[in-house]
Amino acid sequence: MKLAGQILSFIRNVSIFRKEPKVSFHDLFVHFHQILEGNNATMEMVADMEDKLGGQYVFDRKYMEDSIANIEKAVLQSAYNLNFISGNKDLELYSVIEKLARQLKQELAGELVIPGGRIVLALEDIEETMDEAVGNKAYNLFRILNLPNTNVPPSFVVTIGGFHRYLAMNNLHDQINALMGECKNKESSIEVISNKIRLLILNGEIPTRLRHEILKAAEAIYPRNSESACYSVRSSAVEEDGALSFAGLHDSFLNVPFRELLSSYKKVIAGMYSPGSIRYRIEKKLPFTDMAMAVLFQQMVESRVAGVAYTVDPNSPQNQSCMIGANFGLGTSVVEGNTEVDMFHVSRRRPYEVLDSRINEKKWMLSPNGTDSPVEVSPEMRNKPSLLPDQAASIVETALIIERFFKHPMDIEWGLDDQGQLRILQARPLGISRGGQSRSPELKALLKKQKVLLKDQGVIAYRGIGSGPVYIVHDEESLNKFPSGAVLLARFGIPILSRAIPRASAIITDVGSPTGHMATVAREFQIPTIVDTGSATRVLEPGCDVTVDAEKNIVYEGRITDLLFHQLLERPLFESRYEFQILRRLLRRISPLTLIDPEGANFNPRGCTTFHDVIRYIHETSLGILLAIAEKPSDLAGSGGRRLKSSLPLNMILIDIGGGLDASTQKGKWVMPEQILSRPMKALWAGMDSPDVWNTDPIPPDFKGLMSGLTRTQIESVAGQTLAGLNVAVLGADYLNMTLRVGYHFTVVDALMGPRPEKNTIFFRFVGGATDITRRSRRAALLLAILENIGFKVEGSGDLVIARAVNSSADQIKHYLYLIGRLIGFVRQLDILMKDDTSVELYFNRFMAANSIIPASDPNFRGARKK
Amino acid sequence: MKDKLSICVLDDEPIVGDRLKPELEDAGYEVEIFVDSASAIKRLDDRCFDIFVTDLKMEGVDGMGFLEKAKERCENSEVIMITGYATLESVRESFVRGAYDVIAKPFRIEEIREAVNKAKKRVRKKKSHS
Repeated sequence: MKLAGQILSFIRNVSIFRKEPKVSFHDLFVHFHQILEGNNATMEMVADMEDKLGGQYVFDRKYMEDSIANIEKAVLQSAYNLNFISGNKDLELYSVIEKLARQLKQELAGELVIPGGRIVLALEDIEETMDEAVGNKAYNLFRILNLPNTNVPPSFVVTIGGFHRYLAMNNLHDQINALMGECKNKESSIEVISNKIRLLILNGEIPTRLRHEILKAAEAIYPRNSESACYSVRSSAVEEDGALSFAGLHDSFLNVPFRELLSSYKKVIAGMYSPGSIRYRIEKKLPFTDMAMAVLFQQMVESRVAGVAYTVDPNSPQNQSCMIGANFGLGTSVVEGNTEVDMFHVSRRRPYEVLDSRINEKKWMLSPNGTDSPVEVSPEMRNKPSLLPDQAASIVETALIIERFFKHPMDIEWGLDDQGQLRILQARPLGISRGGQSRSPELKALLKKQKVLLKDQGVIAYRGIGSGPVYIVHDEESLNKFPSGAVLLARFGIPILSRAIPRASAIITDVGSPTGHMATVAREFQIPTIVDTGSATRVLEPGCDVTVDAEKNIVYEGRITDLLFHQLLERPLFESRYEFQILRRLLRRISPLTLIDPEGANFNPRGCTTFHDVIRYIHETSLGILLAIAEKPSDLAGSGGRRLKSSLPLNMILIDIGGGLDASTQKGKWVMPEQILSRPMKALWAGMDSPDVWNTDPIPPDFKGLMSGLTRTQIESVAGQTLAGLNVAVLGADYLNMTLRVGYHFTVVDALMGPRPEKNTIFFRFVGGATDITRRSRRAALLLAILENIGFKVEGSGDLVIARAVNSSADQIKHYLYLIGRLIGFVRQLDILMKDDTSVELYFNRFMAANSIIPASDPNFRGARKK
Repeated sequence: MKDKLSICVLDDEPIVGDRLKPELEDAGYEVEIFVDSASAIKRLDDRCFDIFVTDLKMEGVDGMGFLEKAKERCENSEVIMITGYATLESVRESFVRGAYDVIAKPFRIEEIREAVNKAKKRVRKKKSHS
């Protein structure tokens, strides 16, 4: 056949790399499409794993093994495809993927993976995956660092890696293991062996690099004046402050001057082998060999008042009160319990009233800038309360934020510094027994009597119980005023909500998906979340207290303290299961995107730190190869491309790679839209070309100011009605790949629309715009919300939007493409019009209504459900 | 109020029983969990269960073998298989041998709750006839 012959010769002759090894045009698109397909499949698997973190699923180890094996396989295949079209320019990807996969397998095997072998880390440089490298004390503080209303003193940590270097340098590993082995069988020898080991450690020499790094990090804490610098040096062993407290068994040193930092380090690690600590290990059946300890160095907080806060009273947990012990000076006096201190019981409910206080005569305190020995409290101060009611309230408020995050009653050491600022010195789960597991008959009976506001109306995205006043976020302003502890209610989960999420006690949305953006953030902060309820913003009254049971998918009126306490005190946390922790850790090596800027210096295979990075790298690089062709449309026209004739002023080149165009089209002649045979192109074009799609709202007057930085031609091409730019569509009978440069944004659509649903895909990518990044990001948020509600899996950052759909029938793909076509027209200039965040909702509703995704007549729309 | 039905959950991965126990208890069942088939079989000497939720692939007596023992010992019971290796073959065989339902791992807690709820109705019916 003539056409077939034409295609064949076209495929043979056109090569995009004139100097590189030749890749035929056909092969280029086959491989590009396979890359997208592989990336889609990988992101699907990642979303599936993330979904499992919400607590709704029961999964096991095999699931995790299978998932990471499949992800590795898919990513390797994409790397192969990229190397095929790039002429093997990215061979390094293979070793990067192999390394990432090896780390995942190590995590799964429970082995410790310390990124980059760091031995000293500032608290803020700790990463989510490093809990075992820095020990629980440092890790808990690192997690608190990111919570709102919390202030942690500048700190750094010598990691487990640093500890091992110390032992290795002094040849202590084997000696200590041998000695420890001895005392396991001989209780009587514990004291002697403990002394031997501690002496070995204290007499050791700190490796040069470790010494250097400790001193450098310590100097960084007091950049101006390290002479008067004072530190606290605390143990942060792996097992400590987690399920087991080791309370009081490991040594901490306060008021340590700079010159004694190194010797204090040795004293702290020696403390791990104290007789008390060894006996505790025997009691708790902890391993005896390969013990390890990280050490936390904190800026010494010169507390005027300090102490301990328990978020529940361990003696009578049902009393709904926090307990605070406080004394003047440093908190050690309270922790050690060897002197009289003040005790306060404070309500757990806003405004955190002091319920009762016991003000004792405080004769002794530890001076904030003095020696280790207690000093006398002046007689006129002794009987005064160490805390004022509002200070107690602020301690409780912060303590409850911490409790809400850890979902466990907490034991928190705090200090009020000379500025009156509340500082969190350490925090650990309060040792309190968690009793029964299921809900008691009494609790069930009580719940039956409660007024149910919503039941089974949505999908649980994160399990748990939360309570607070309802607060609806509908724009930037209401978002900024979001009160800590409220129940966050929103129409749909747009990414800007992320700012309020850490302060929310629960989240409910009308529209959304458990695999969506916001759900990911909610899972990261472990906030009970129900999405896609349809009607929550109508049903729930702002300001009214509700209790969100994201275990049974019910929202109750009022605050049901018994249910909250059931979760806090009785229910075993699914998050604390080993499998969940492992899955969380695996995902931290898979799903974060750190390789964001394609122009950045680290945008290369070695810069990839997660599988998502690898996917993004492969994606951008392959796209770059593809777009290089679109740079030279004249070449394309000369070598087989045809111009599309249409009512839209689009300069569009069509390239047929087989079955995409009517056989009657001729080289050099215009192609009429009716001559397009490519099924996906027809569907997309039907959307793009429909008469009512192009948004015709007038451009606002302040737009001129916005555009002042641009040249006249640029302004015309953006604000004018012409669609400038070079646009290319590659067509097959079932295939479409279109790159559009409309205004200042860049759109890519890649779709396969054949008879086999499992093979069908759509990929949509949108980036850029002429306005500032805030407005462009608003438009991106709008696109994300619309696409997600149509049924796409979406991801995005800044002004970038990526949407995918897989496994859909040809009819479904056709519909999706039609909507995407309309969407491209709809959002073309919207960044200019989107002056504030309310406009996201405005245009969302307008698009959904105009496209009958929601009936225009129904003001209480419900998003198109994807099931 | 009707008598509580009893459920035996058997899976060699402890997380399965640990997570199902409180959920099924909340739904009003009496639940015992086992992580190896030997101890579950031993327990059958002492008592019967109304509903069994068992993993398919296990050391020693596997899910198929356990299903037979459970059916033999507790004639009014129903068995729900859970498996991470759901092939057409294994699903068919489960049904042939009398399983009431087969659920692929990982599963949503509601899926188990629903399956158990349906099995409950069957067990009640059988009990009232016997």
